[in-house]
Parts: sequence; C-alpha cells; structure tokens
Amino acid sequence: MSIIYNMQVIDVSSVSKKYKVYKNPGPISLKNGLKEVFSKKSNQEFWAINDVSFSLSAGDKLGIVGNNGAGKSTLLKILSRITKPTTGSISVQGKVASLLEVGTGFHPELTGRENIFLNGAILGMKKSEITAQFDEIVDFAGEQIIRFLDTPVKRYSSGMYVRLGFAIAAHLNPEILIIDEVLAVGDADFQKKSLGKMKEVASREKTILFVSHNLTAVANLCNKTLHLEKGRVKAFGDTGQILTSYMAALQNNVFEHQYERPEIAPGNDIIRLKYAKLHPRLHEDQSYWDIRHAFNIELEFWNLGSTSNLNVSLHVYASTGECIFNVGSGSLSCRYGLIRASLEVPGHYLNDGNYVVSFMVVKDKSIILHNFEEIFNFEIADFREDTTWYGKWPGYVRPSFSFPIEQISETI
Amino acid sequence: MGIFQRFNSQFKEILHDSELLFILAKRDISVRYKQTYLGVGWAIVRPVLTMLVFLFAFKNVAKIQDLSGYPIQLVIFSGILFWNLFATTFQSVSNSIIVNGNLISKVYFPRLIICLSSIAVSLIDFLVGLVVYIILAFALGQSISIHIFLLPLALILTLLSSLGFGILFASFSVKYRDLLQIIPLVVQYGFFVTPIVYTSQSLIGSKWFIYYSIINPLAGLVEFFRYSLLVKYHLFNPQILWISVASTLFIFSLSLFVFHKREDSFVDHL
Repeated sequence: MSIIYNMQVIDVSSVSKKYKVYKNPGPISLKNGLKEVFSKKSNQEFWAINDVSFSLSAGDKLGIVGNNGAGKSTLLKILSRITKPTTGSISVQGKVASLLEVGTGFHPELTGRENIFLNGAILGMKKSEITAQFDEIVDFAGEQIIRFLDTPVKRYSSGMYVRLGFAIAAHLNPEILIIDEVLAVGDADFQKKSLGKMKEVASREKTILFVSHNLTAVANLCNKTLHLEKGRVKAFGDTGQILTSYMAALQNNVFEHQYERPEIAPGNDIIRLKYAKLHPRLHEDQSYWDIRHAFNIELEFWNLGSTSNLNVSLHVYASTGECIFNVGSGSLSCRYGLIRASLEVPGHYLNDGNYVVSFMVVKDKSIILHNFEEIFNFEIADFREDTTWYGKWPGYVRPSFSFPIEQISETI
Repeated sequence: MGIFQRFNSQFKEILHDSELLFILAKRDISVRYKQTYLGVGWAIVRPVLTMLVFLFAFKNVAKIQDLSGYPIQLVIFSGILFWNLFATTFQSVSNSIIVNGNLISKVYFPRLIICLSSIAVSLIDFLVGLVVYIILAFALGQSISIHIFLLPLALILTLLSSLGFGILFASFSVKYRDLLQIIPLVVQYGFFVTPIVYTSQSLIGSKWFIYYSIINPLAGLVEFFRYSLLVKYHLFNPQILWISVASTLFIFSLSLFVFHKREDSFVDHL
C-alpha cells in the first residue's frame, strides 16, 4: 500500500470563492435582479476564500483552524463539492463523504428505520451497505433507539435524533471524510463512544478533513493543520508547529497598549490611559495560554484632575456578553500624575473561551470618571489530561477544586 | 470538456446514484400518504370531483355541448388525468430545489436527482386515476382503445414536457423567488387554453391552430393521450403530435442546459 500512501489524494490549487454582498440579504426579487442587469452598479464583493492551496496524501488527517469568518466552512463546502470555487481548481481522488451536519435530510414524518436508509443514501451509502450494517448502526445509536425504531423521528428527543444521525455517519466507509464539528454532539457518554469510533476510523488509512474550534481534539486526531485567516492560508504544516504558532499569534496581538503622551491617549479631561498590559503567565516550554495559566493585568493612567479618591473597577465578559466577574481595586487618594493598578487572576479559574476586559476609573466609589471598554480581547485554550472526551467543557469557570474520591469498603 | 461530454458524465453520475433517486422518491410518497387519512384515496377523489364540477357546469349551467361525439365524462376525465399529471409534476419540480434546500446546502449529489425524484408522487396519483378511468369507461359501456400500447409513450412525452418547464422554473426561481408566484398562474390558465375539459374539435378549423399547437405543445399531447385511451378517437393528428414532440424535446434539452449552467450557484442563494 506504500505507493498509494504517498499519492496526493487532495490537491487544492489557488482556490478562491467570491460572494456578493447584497444590501438586502435574502432571496433576490425579480425587480432587483433586473435592476442589477440593467444598471452597471455592482454589488460589494467579499472573498470568503482567497488563493488557498494545499495538498494531502492518502491517510493524512487535516485539522482546519481559524477564527469565526476565516472561511473554514466555505472551504469545507468547496471540498465537498457543495459549492464551486470562483477561481482555482481542486482535484480529489476517491470516494468522499462529508458530514457538515448530523442527520442531514432526516424527515420528521418518517420512522427511525426509514430515516437510516434515507440518510445513509444521502451520505452516499449503497442500500446493500446499509442493510449489511443496519444492526450495528442501531446498536451504536443505543437502546432507546431500538425501542423507537418504528416511531417517526419527530417524536424523538433531540438527543436521540443526534445519536441516530451520528450512528449512521459513523458507519460510512469513504476514502475521504470531511467533518464539521460534529464531534460536539450528544451527552458525554455518547461523545466518548463517538470519539472512540472516530479514532478507529482515523487509524485506518483514511484521509480526514476536520474543522474544529477544539484545539485539543485537533491535536489528538490530526497530523496536519491548516490555519486560515480572513480566507487566506496563514500557515499549513505539522499540527504541533501550527497550533503553537496559531495560539501564539492569537494571543500576542493586542495585549499591550502604550501611549507616550496624554494628548494622544484614550480617556477624557480627567483620566487618560498610559499603559495597559495583559500578561499570561505561561508554564515553561509552553507557548500558548490554556486554562491552567494565571494572568496579570497591569494598568497605568494619568490623573489630570485634582486630588481625589480613585479606585479601578475591572470587568471580564464572556464572548456572549455576560459579565463573568467584576473586581475593584482598593481606593487611593490620588494626586495629579501617574497611577498604577495591577491584578492577578489565578490559573484554573476561567474556562476555555473568548473573553473581553473593560475597566473603569471610579471616584469616591460612586462616580465613574471614565470607562475604558474592550481594552483586551483574549482567548484561553482548553487543556485536558487523561480524557477521551473532547466536547466543550461547560461553564464559564473551570476550577480545579480538591475533589477526592476513595473506596471506603469492599462490602455492601 | 464539451457540453455533450459533460451531459454524459452527469448522466452517468445520476445512474450511479440511482438508489438515492429512488429513496428520495419513496420518501416523498410515504410522507405524502402518512400525513393524510384518505391517503391514496385522494388520487381518486380529486379527478372525480373536478369532472363532476365540469359536468354540472356544462350540462346544467352553461348548456355547452361538446360535438366530438365521445362521452363527455370520458373526454373530461381523460383530460383531467392528463392535466393533473402535467400540472402536479410541473409544480413539484419547480419547487423541488427550494424545498430540498437543506439537502443541497449540506451534501453533494447530482442536483438533477432532486428534480427527477419529485415526479414520483404525481406518477402514483396518475396510475390510480388511470384505474378509475378504466372503471368509468366500462361503466359507461365503452371499452378501451387498442392504441393503449401508445399510453407509455404519451406518458413519457408528458413527463418530459412537465420536467422541461419545471426544471426551467426551478433553475431560475432559486435566485428569483418572484417566479414562484407565476407557477400557479401557468397551471390555472393552461388548464383553460389547452383542450382539457373540451376537445380540439372546435379549434381544428381555425387558421391559427398550427401556431397554437407550436406555442402550446400540450394541446397535441393531450389529444395523443386521448387517442391511446378512447376508442377510434379521430381528433388525433400525427402532424400536430410531431410539432408537440419537437417542442417538448426542445424545451427539455433547453432546461437541462440552463439547469447545468445554473446549478452551481443554487447553494449561494438558498
């Protein structure tokens, strides 16, 4: 098999995809369509994917990472042939199955049994393949499904729906498998089973393309990684190397603000920001920030007003906009000049995710002199040891409280 | 690649995925009958009711007589059978891409499969209606034409024309949703300008009949269809049929060409 192994099964060469941005999104009316034809005014263009090239050999497992809007999903759609690139070409050798969603094409009125055949056919399985694996699929989906096999899936709970969908997908046998975050489905137990199946699939000489926000899963499953940024290839290569630079790039951008003179600094007539720094305290030989690491925030600002009692109130928000915590500094009688405040947040405190920091300078603990909004925007990566579960860890905080477990006796 | 080679490769792809075609057709059929109590009974009720309404309108209200000499029930019922087949396939094919938008934006398969599979329900309805027609004919003391062996051909031509119009509408309506508003109008007006509840007897003499047949290929098809069912049906004109066949094939090939040109952009508008 060594000859096949070295063959390039996927070759993407300078692929770009342009979308028109319509002023009124949604379907186009005939009127606007005609207008578009007769007036030469062009709509705004947007390149979702711009000059992307890479190639994979048989057996490669590629992780695709990047921020929201980096073009990951568009790239998967192009590779799955769902949409055509505007320019450039792709060549794919072998049978492809793409899983951009669990349970694609399930019809709510049809029974679980009927949907297995429907969904399997949609994903590219032959009827004989489905029949041969039918019992395995049902077994994999779990006991509950067996009982409701002849019930319309509209009566299924969302968990059952997803389990059945994944069970079918897990029994696909393509040469190339394209997956979009479907790992993050089901309860913990089912995820464990799914991941086991994924690893089993991955261990065969199969080519896998996998989009995920979960860097731990990418690190575990993929030997190669493609980092997309604003539709372009930022980096492509060995997973270890790419993830390290990806996290480092992600975290180095805006962690320091420095202003030489008050005139150019943000703020107002009384308070101006001189310096702000967010500094993750990475462990040695670690190049990116994960949940274990503590971080410091240092703030310096000019007090241009008269002597007054000032304190700093700092807020950390989740990307959903909810405030995770608010801490206040001590209060100090500040004279005209430069003031410094610093904060340390311990490791094993914030969960993985994106966070925003804002702070305000408050006079007499009640009057807000100035609110510095969204000073820092940072991401904390996940870190797990000894786990086979890669779903999103729930919650905003991720404490590692002491939580011992012991066997008290061996009799009932 | 030339256009013919591309059609050829697409045809091969569809053949390769024929199981998907059948399972999608099966899905449409089982969903259709699971949602209704009367199920397949609707395929009987609908044409029978339509026929009764027109019988009432012709005999008791408008006092119109068809002069072709064939039992008016059979003329109307065969017409309705034909028209329902055309109209329902045309409508479901026209809407098929949008209705199955979720599939199209998540999985790749030859898009034409969606259009082809959506004729299944109408075809079942047609077959049920055909049985009703045969019963009706015997009940009226008539028999079935020996030309019934031509019925499959008539069926194929009807399907090709409805697919042709349907695929054209499907190709454009994904981007221009206004077109969806036109579909019911085509069905409604087409019913009256085609010899469905009357025969072409009264049209044949007109000077413009030949032009009419070119514009409306269904006129020739419906008479061919009746020729295959009614005994000694004399209104069938092979020359007119050739015109219908030519324009049907033209529209069908045009629709394949247009569909092929536009299918890659579907997902961007869904």
